[in-house]
Amino acid sequence: MKAKKNYKFYLFALLPFFIIVLLFEILPLINIVIESFSKTGGGGFTLDHFVKIFSTRLYQQSIYNSLWISIFSAVVGIFIAFIGAKAAHNASPKIRNTFTSVLNITSNFAGVPLAFAFMILLGNVGILTLIGKNYGIEFLANYDLYTINGLLLTYIYFQIPLGTLLMLPIFSGLRKEWKEAVGLLGGNSFHYWFKVAIPSLLPSILGTFSVLFANSLAAYGTAYALLSNNISLLPIRISQQFVGEVVQNQEFGCALSLVMMALMVISVLITNKLQKKSGGVQ
Amino acid sequence: MKLKTQLWDGCILFIIAAFLIIPLALTFLYSVFTAWMDILPTGFTLSFYSEILTDGAFINSLLRSLVISFVPVCICSLAILLVLYVTTLYMPKLEKYIEILCNIPYAIQGVILAVGIISLYSGKPGFLSNRLFLLVGAYCIIILPYTFRGLKNTIGALNVKCVVEAAQVLGCSQLHAFFSIIIPQMKNGIISTMMLAFTMLFADFVVVNMIAGSAFRTAGIYLYQTMSKSGQLSSAIIVILFITTFIISTLTLMIQNKAVTKRGKN
Repeated sequence: MKAKKNYKFYLFALLPFFIIVLLFEILPLINIVIESFSKTGGGGFTLDHFVKIFSTRLYQQSIYNSLWISIFSAVVGIFIAFIGAKAAHNASPKIRNTFTSVLNITSNFAGVPLAFAFMILLGNVGILTLIGKNYGIEFLANYDLYTINGLLLTYIYFQIPLGTLLMLPIFSGLRKEWKEAVGLLGGNSFHYWFKVAIPSLLPSILGTFSVLFANSLAAYGTAYALLSNNISLLPIRISQQFVGEVVQNQEFGCALSLVMMALMVISVLITNKLQKKSGGVQ
Repeated sequence: MKLKTQLWDGCILFIIAAFLIIPLALTFLYSVFTAWMDILPTGFTLSFYSEILTDGAFINSLLRSLVISFVPVCICSLAILLVLYVTTLYMPKLEKYIEILCNIPYAIQGVILAVGIISLYSGKPGFLSNRLFLLVGAYCIIILPYTFRGLKNTIGALNVKCVVEAAQVLGCSQLHAFFSIIIPQMKNGIISTMMLAFTMLFADFVVVNMIAGSAFRTAGIYLYQTMSKSGQLSSAIIVILFITTFIISTLTLMIQNKAVTKRGKN
């Protein structure tokens, strides 16, 4: 009797979680897949949306741009995060703590506020742009924030704190003895970094890369605040199908979302494969 | 040689920190000066702050942001605590599957989650198409992975089974023991997990913009609408939002540090 009552209670305790997950995670996910293959307006099975996505220049461009900006900003972000984390690892605890606080503070600075900050810095009448014009610094005067290349700088900005915070702990995995061993075997610091340290850190670096990649692929606020719908990026093209002045096409939006989801899953799979291949210290 | 590398490392850290701080610092300076046409701004003023802080529409949007971030955090944390209660005490095998469910949101970040929810529920009858209801649900899913991991790590650090068994021997029911002994012990972990989740939702723009849009103006939406009107007002809003987040995350760090030293003492 008591066992039965307990059993009922377990189910009752699990209920809120499963209701939330079912209503807002599982069902929406299934619905995206179903609607991606439905005709516009509902019903029927069709591959038209995917044919349109991969054959229309507008959408090809948005996939290409999204991939390009995500990969490029993640690579640059990883590079800066690596040298930053390395320097912080060698620095005194006091400097390291200050640096970590700066990272923590700025990691909250993203989305619309970040877009605005770059607008007053490098926008059409931005501070640096004006200084560039007044003093004849061509690079600053002609910087165009409102293009995909201009946008890239803001993406790199929000990758750095996240990347460095993720990379900092992995440097404690490097042992001092390794460096000494390389020295004893007649190697220099180039050998140490490129033959020992980086290969052993590679799995963690790849893991960080995939987080940064997903982070910028899904980023929306910064691009939307700077260029609203006038830029070909996947998240922008997706949201356009649901809100805004353009003719809305829900099923097509779902198909675009499925493509974006596929890109995320593929990036995780590739990273996992590379991680296994490289082995590393773990 | 060593001094040289130290100097070099110091320079790197300084350059990175400067790059990260400059946009933030300039946004602040921009909000307290009337004009900025050359290297230095001119006309110091706090009028933009007084204007925005006396603007009822902004205060309302800020309150909306606080409430809409706080409610999902409570719902999600409570649901996960209940699940952890069942999995740690009775069904440890279930935890694996719960963890998978909690990691799915990583793949359906931001815009995808919003698309899934809108396309499923918009136009449906009754409370299901209520935009606020959908927003709360979406927010619960966004913070699900982080809340689950945070709470699981906290509960993992305690010896739940032993404590609950001891309480049972002393004549206390399991449920009562869980809520009156285990949860109070987890207090710091719960609070810091909730605060982290809160700051994530507080900064959200994409989901609220797609699900509720201008129908539910949070501070993020208000900022977006102000941007095209007044630069200085927008920067004042950003500073206010930033300070709010900063206070919350500093408190979180303090609580976490306190928890660490406490654990160290024991």
